[in-house]
Amino acid sequence: MKKIMIVEDDKIMCDELAKLLSNNNFDPIILHDFSNSLNEILKCLPDLILLDINIPFMNGEMLLKELRKKSNIPVIMLTSSNSEIDEALSISFGADDYISKPFNSNILLLRIGAILRRMEVPVNLITYKDLRINLTKCTLNNNGIEIELTKNEMIVFRYLLNHKNKIVTRDELMTDLWNNNEFINDNALTVNISRLRSKLKSINCNGYIKTRKGMGYILS
Amino acid sequence: MNFYDYFKDKFYQFILTFICYAIILIIFFAFKIDIGIIISTFFILINLFIVSILIDYFRKKKFYDTLLKNIDKLDKSYLVLETISKPNFYEGELLYQALYDINKSMSENVKTIYQQSKEFKEYIELWIHEIKIPLSTLNLINNSHNYDRRIKIQLKRINDYVEQVLYYSRSENASKDYLIRSVDLSTIIRNVGLKSIDDLLENKMNFIVDKVKIKVLTDSKWLEFILEQIINNSIKYKKDNVDSYIKIEVNDEKNKTILTILDNGIGIKESDLKQVMNKSFTGENGRGKSKSTGMGLYIVKNMCEKLSHKIEIESKENEYTKVIITFFKNNYYDVLN
Repeated sequence: MKKIMIVEDDKIMCDELAKLLSNNNFDPIILHDFSNSLNEILKCLPDLILLDINIPFMNGEMLLKELRKKSNIPVIMLTSSNSEIDEALSISFGADDYISKPFNSNILLLRIGAILRRMEVPVNLITYKDLRINLTKCTLNNNGIEIELTKNEMIVFRYLLNHKNKIVTRDELMTDLWNNNEFINDNALTVNISRLRSKLKSINCNGYIKTRKGMGYILS
Repeated sequence: MNFYDYFKDKFYQFILTFICYAIILIIFFAFKIDIGIIISTFFILINLFIVSILIDYFRKKKFYDTLLKNIDKLDKSYLVLETISKPNFYEGELLYQALYDINKSMSENVKTIYQQSKEFKEYIELWIHEIKIPLSTLNLINNSHNYDRRIKIQLKRINDYVEQVLYYSRSENASKDYLIRSVDLSTIIRNVGLKSIDDLLENKMNFIVDKVKIKVLTDSKWLEFILEQIINNSIKYKKDNVDSYIKIEVNDEKNKTILTILDNGIGIKESDLKQVMNKSFTGENGRGKSKSTGMGLYIVKNMCEKLSHKIEIESKENEYTKVIITFFKNNYYDVLN
């Protein structure tokens, strides 16, 4: 499980963030001692840091600047300041992303996922059960039978795959699609899912995607 | 300052002098003084009088003419005292001193008010940052316990109003709160789409976007706010019982990039079209459908002016509304990079 450190001084916000992260298979760590924040961070070596700008003792931007001298742990700035100047400054100090409050939690999770994936060795080939998935070519291969997926179908399938055995809501799928500049509507999502299902069926993978009524879909 | 008006102003002095001369003349005649002496005396008296009048006229003319001319030429006419030298006649000195004192007290007054507005602006910014913490906490709570889309939409409404205050205060103030960078339009459109995703889906609006990667010179946060306002309007004033859409197109030309946001909503009445960007203007639509503050487009217009983007609205009632934003290219910026 990836460790994610939350550097934020609002107690309730911290708890809610931690809950959100642990619900999504991350291991959240909350920073308590702001007077010694840099050492605390280096001591637990998280995989990613969510950093607020307005924190006690050393402000977030300064903390980031100091941190970058010693480590290149990915950092997402999570702040209520909505100004280009703060964003430009944070990025120049070495932040990997900048999200202003209030944020959509699906987007936060997508961005965290994107950054963590970037840190790993890029994989083009994933296997799931007997299925071989080629991400660059957008193809699925089951024991030699190959099919092509459209871009939207691939986005949906990849999201389900990244969250396998977990219920994925339509909202989450929609947010991921929009995040990839595919601004489709509700009907189009339904169509994409049913096409994806029939394509899976055509390569003998019937029933991979199940519908949980009123909740969403699950890949199992 | 012209001589005729000056003469009119000094008329009583002329009358008095001539009465005085007449009396002297009568006395001279009464004492039977030689005509040659009378003529030479009056020649001297009259000449002296004319010379004294002329000296006085030109001295004043020089001061008042520069004063009036400079007031006319300056765009901030209250700074006129800095441009003239202190006059060398008594009335002028009085006027100069009076103007100086008035100016000083006015600048002090303006400074107090400027300071107050600056402090208020700073407080508003701070307050907005504070209010966003509970707002985002509420968002998170709603997400992890019993997710309710209605709550999410209402939270977004609160956030939109809060943002409006923030950008109103930023766009009204003289201070420079923006940063022009080269930013990718598709990223901005994506962020705006993601922010309004629930509203758009809830209202079954199709969001159709040109897929192009074009960079423009702007402040991305400001532009996101501008587009959000326009899209919110499209959602608010959509037509019922039709397949509604918002179409965003980007056209890149030699010296400019044109961003068009088109919807098939209820449109704007022709008589209202010119005024929609005025402060507090709520046209037929604003009064008819849902309550409108008339601030959104006004702030948008101000922000576009500050960022030097051109914004135009075209519309046909019951058919469409089209907002066109033009970004100008700057070669200087390319050279710098």
